[in-house]
Amino acid sequence: MSKPDLSVEIAGIKLKNPVMPASGCFGYGREYSKYYSLSKLGAVVVKATTLKRRLGNPTPRVTEVTAGMLNAIGLANPGVEQVVKEELPWLADQNVPIIVNIAGETVSEYCQVAEIISHSGLAQAVELNVSCPNVKLGGLTFGADPVILADLVRQVKKVCCIPVIVKLSPNVTSITELALAAEQAGADGISLINTLIGMKIDLKTRKPVLANKIGGLSGPAIKPVALRMVYETARIVNIPIIGMGGIYKGEDAVEFIMAGASGVMVGTANFTDPYACPKIIAGIESFMIAQGLKSLEDIRGCAL
Amino acid sequence: MILEIEYINNLTSDIWEMKLNGDFPFNNVQAGQFINIRIKDSYDHLLRRPISIAEANTDMQSLTIVFRVVGQGTKWLSQRQKGDKLDVMGPLGVGFPLPDYNRKVLIVGGGVGVPPLYQLAVDVSKYTKNVHILLGFRNARECFWQEKFADKGELVIATEDGSRGVRGFVTDALKAYKSYWDYVYACGPRPMLKALKQYFQGQDVKGYVSLEERMACGVGACYGCVCSSEDRGENFRICKEGPVFPWGEVDI
Repeated sequence: MSKPDLSVEIAGIKLKNPVMPASGCFGYGREYSKYYSLSKLGAVVVKATTLKRRLGNPTPRVTEVTAGMLNAIGLANPGVEQVVKEELPWLADQNVPIIVNIAGETVSEYCQVAEIISHSGLAQAVELNVSCPNVKLGGLTFGADPVILADLVRQVKKVCCIPVIVKLSPNVTSITELALAAEQAGADGISLINTLIGMKIDLKTRKPVLANKIGGLSGPAIKPVALRMVYETARIVNIPIIGMGGIYKGEDAVEFIMAGASGVMVGTANFTDPYACPKIIAGIESFMIAQGLKSLEDIRGCAL
Repeated sequence: MILEIEYINNLTSDIWEMKLNGDFPFNNVQAGQFINIRIKDSYDHLLRRPISIAEANTDMQSLTIVFRVVGQGTKWLSQRQKGDKLDVMGPLGVGFPLPDYNRKVLIVGGGVGVPPLYQLAVDVSKYTKNVHILLGFRNARECFWQEKFADKGELVIATEDGSRGVRGFVTDALKAYKSYWDYVYACGPRPMLKALKQYFQGQDVKGYVSLEERMACGVGACYGCVCSSEDRGENFRICKEGPVFPWGEVDI
């Protein structure tokens, strides 16, 4: 039997497979390129980029919880100019599509970053981070209200010549309402879910472990929530969906695809195993061979 | 990579020594670097445990680590047995730069910060015979590897309760020396490192400290384990730019 076709198309971008490391979990790719060729990946999603450099939150910024982890990094990044100058040119040579996650405190900041990234010619898409739970300004402010979100998407679309993917937060009352707002405002795709807000308390100090007190929960603990939200969103929007939340194995990725996702992102699993992404790609391929599938289109959304 | 446990042994009530062998670039280990160890092949512990390399023996093709049981992950590690396999990443990070020949060196360790200084002492002893080693522990029962260190330099032990060696902290013991040093290398609790940096302030000495922080990826991708520069104007990743830093560059 011929090899199954893992390729997918998301917002006009052709990916050789649906697997991409999630923003914030892969730096700018350099670190993991020591473990495998980044060209094996569907795409690389780089760390959230803001207009000005951000140092991020005080430490401890990360801690482990049952079947998950909490993080409160706080969008630490060197700023868009530096990212375009120092990081993206190297990544652009790795023969893999690049999606740049962008964040801001105001609509104008998002627009400026999107414009700079778009004009650099180094990225294939931007992912609007309207869902970071760990910053005081911006982030979730834009991701919790459909009117504010729609306005942001419209403004960014005006200045950005590459596809705009909107990364949604699970920390909202109705994720479908926000997904619809993003679609109607012109978003080219939706990625979900960002982390769920959580906390851990240190029994010795009797205080929260994280310096930021609260942080984003990720890992297998959130997979059922993520899957449900992808499923609900896939039922009502027509733009492509990229699913994420606790994907550790090929089978997990397949579940998201069955729930309607065109692509998947892998976050925490990279920390547990630096080879997580290539292993998940291989796992999807094995599943397809075992099931006699020729293309992922054969199963995409089959659970809906 | 997968390493096999050659032996595991408790050094004190909660500190364990583990020797590993297998396919590992033993020859490329720099004193002060660490390995990141997977805890169980399950979803119980998603984050690896970063543990410094105490000894990398190129002749024996083995690696020794020493760790304290502080939670479920290190408890699991302490319950492994000879012949068990561990999934390990490393060597990771940047270790201690070695001194110029024949210089005067002081190595200072505190508690479970002591182990990586053993490999350092081994390496430093190839460059100079002028090595003072000062190790601080809570009490005599918490002391370990005294004989190993005594073989590598002039050793002084300090204990908080005076049950062995000098009574007090390492900085108290420091006052008794009638010596100066070209290099000071340290690993231990932050307050100890801070006190050392202050003690040597204004002196013409090259100081290096090994820092610790909760880590996630261990390779510089997640920005979880940062420390501040001296002027607090930027951050360094402890797993990538560190864990060893010139003490003048970091805010301890």
